[in-house]
Amino acid sequence: MTRDNRQTGMTFDEALTTKLRLAGWTRRDFLARVAAVGAATALTQLLIACGQGTGSSAPEPTERPTPGTSAAAQATPAITAAPTSPPEPEDELFVYNWAGYIGRQTVDKFEEKYGIKVTYDKFPDESTQISKITSDGRGGGYDVTYPASTWIPRFSVDGVIQKLDHSLIPNLANLEAAWQDPGYDPGNQYSVPYAWWTTGYAWDPRAIDADLTSWGALWDPAYSGRMSMLDDMRECFAAGAFRLGLSPNTTDLAELDQILAHLQEQKPLLRRYTADDIGDMVGGVVDLTHCWSGDWVQMTYDIGRIRYAIPSEGSIKGSDTFVVLSGAQHPIAAHLWIDFNLDAQISSENTNWIGYMGPNEAAREFIDNYIINDPRLNPPPEVLAELIELQFLEQPDLDQYTSRWTTLRAS
Amino acid sequence: MTSRAAEAVPDRGGANADGKPGRPGDGLGTGLLVLPGVLWLAAFFLLPLGIIAVISLGSVDPGGHVTLADPSLRNYEQALRPEFLPAFGKSLYYSVVTTVLSLGIGYPVAYWISRHGGRHKILLLVLVMLPFWTSYLIRTYAWLIILRDNGVLNAFLMETGLIDRPWVIVDTDLGVIIGMTYGFLPFAILPLFVSIDRLDFSLIQAARDLYASGRGAFLNVTLPLTMPGIVAAVFLTFIPALGDFVTPDLLGGAQTTTIAKIVQIIFTSGRDWPYGAALGFLLMAVTISGTLLALRSLRREVIGTAA
Repeated sequence: MTRDNRQTGMTFDEALTTKLRLAGWTRRDFLARVAAVGAATALTQLLIACGQGTGSSAPEPTERPTPGTSAAAQATPAITAAPTSPPEPEDELFVYNWAGYIGRQTVDKFEEKYGIKVTYDKFPDESTQISKITSDGRGGGYDVTYPASTWIPRFSVDGVIQKLDHSLIPNLANLEAAWQDPGYDPGNQYSVPYAWWTTGYAWDPRAIDADLTSWGALWDPAYSGRMSMLDDMRECFAAGAFRLGLSPNTTDLAELDQILAHLQEQKPLLRRYTADDIGDMVGGVVDLTHCWSGDWVQMTYDIGRIRYAIPSEGSIKGSDTFVVLSGAQHPIAAHLWIDFNLDAQISSENTNWIGYMGPNEAAREFIDNYIINDPRLNPPPEVLAELIELQFLEQPDLDQYTSRWTTLRAS
Repeated sequence: MTSRAAEAVPDRGGANADGKPGRPGDGLGTGLLVLPGVLWLAAFFLLPLGIIAVISLGSVDPGGHVTLADPSLRNYEQALRPEFLPAFGKSLYYSVVTTVLSLGIGYPVAYWISRHGGRHKILLLVLVMLPFWTSYLIRTYAWLIILRDNGVLNAFLMETGLIDRPWVIVDTDLGVIIGMTYGFLPFAILPLFVSIDRLDFSLIQAARDLYASGRGAFLNVTLPLTMPGIVAAVFLTFIPALGDFVTPDLLGGAQTTTIAKIVQIIFTSGRDWPYGAALGFLLMAVTISGTLLALRSLRREVIGTAA
């Protein structure tokens, strides 16, 4: 793993350029593009809604063709000739992932190995990802994306993602036993675990010389104007909930009002609700930011002294997955992509660069010690047990969150 | 010049179609010429607009899908929440200030190019347009590099000893206004240039000959005669500025949320397209009716001088 820019002492411009390349401007770029394509996706959505008749929820075929058969139907005739030999992959692949969430050479290595041209698009936040891939209910033109595990039950029922053909992913054997059969997707039928995270906050000890341990730090007037929260509704509500001793998955309206009031108290102290926590810290915009564990690791590539804590009141854990979208035009290549990323070497390169630990048993021996040994990045079972996963919210509950979140942001 | 050139086009079209010169707006040729524009507008403006209007009457079913089963105006009632007023106020504030600044900076620039540009006039106009060859996003990021706490401007000011701690511009109203004024200034300069350049300078000389002061000639001759350009510049700046989402999001912070950002939140975090569509549509209605009202009150003046 090359981490040539890991040391401190970069000039601002170098650091910013790195960040823009690594994550920053591509995130923003995506925001702008979403705005631009909004009308187009709206059009698609409506056409679909009309086509299916109004009133019913978008009907989905219960059984989607497996990638193998759909490829046989649409791809080169050579595939049908020998059913036992692996099918010929398509020559293109469209991948949709978080910015800064893959090893630096993974895409190049994949292209080199298979001769498949990868179009690798990035999104800045989960809500952008979800609206894009559900815009047509079939993945918005992408083959592979990386949703949080909590989305898998919903996506499989709705037919947004397709059943995986395990015969095309032999590297599934590399996964830890516990992740061969996760609760959100028994038997990994629709998804493959990619990486997990914890939520906490990062700070620059040169500006804030303290051992921060509580969520209260993000409400501390001493740091007014020097803090940012993630531009993520659920994570902000979770932070407020933990601070008040409530569940981050609460749907109780009185509790939500309490959290809103608490977040309203915090807002005047904030510099930003950020989609670029890494850029903000490295660019010196803030001294303390709400962030995810791996983002902190990426901050330390530029400013090694930055610290991270999982607050003592409790926090969020979660995991992301690979899925093949149901509208995938390149299903074989999509399976190859997943298999390639499960390779012990490639998987460790991903983790070593992005700082997010994955459930790949075979990759562990290649993963940097500081990641393996850091309980914030690779929490031991007793820490994991304390952390809470954000649950999927049904629309009526989500509406309650959104109405409060927009009230907060508009105020 | 410009208007005569534009009128010449239908003339030629008419002549080609029936062999003799036709009046502007007359004949089959003109119809054919207008057709691509009409189709373009219908396909890429009216149709999406219609779709948004239809979706805004729908709702989201418990499964999270858009449904038109029970169309109603609920979303519009919901969109009128008083909680959104501060964000709308922010949008309005930014677009008014941006428009005023764009006019204030754009008018002298356009005037100077027109009167003193000489043979470099076209070159100067191209320079005004040149930034468009780069993505707006990248240019806004460039402003981020300039304005940030440890950016170029602060480094310069601190190096020269003018300030001893960074002047916080990014994430404040000022940052947003600088970014937006920069972004919309060319849209003000171009129509202003057209109307100033079309102005018959001998009229100003006549005013001076009749003992008008420089200021008097400007206020009584130049300004009224260039009013069409000013009105166009105001609309071309104010309307897009009201819906701008990128600049406040990039150069603004926690305290600069505009109504466009609220629409985006409802579409993405909220996954409620009908509600977002209703709020967006409502904004558009406010903008359009405001524009129409303003145009109506200005019409006599504008058309009177333009014709």
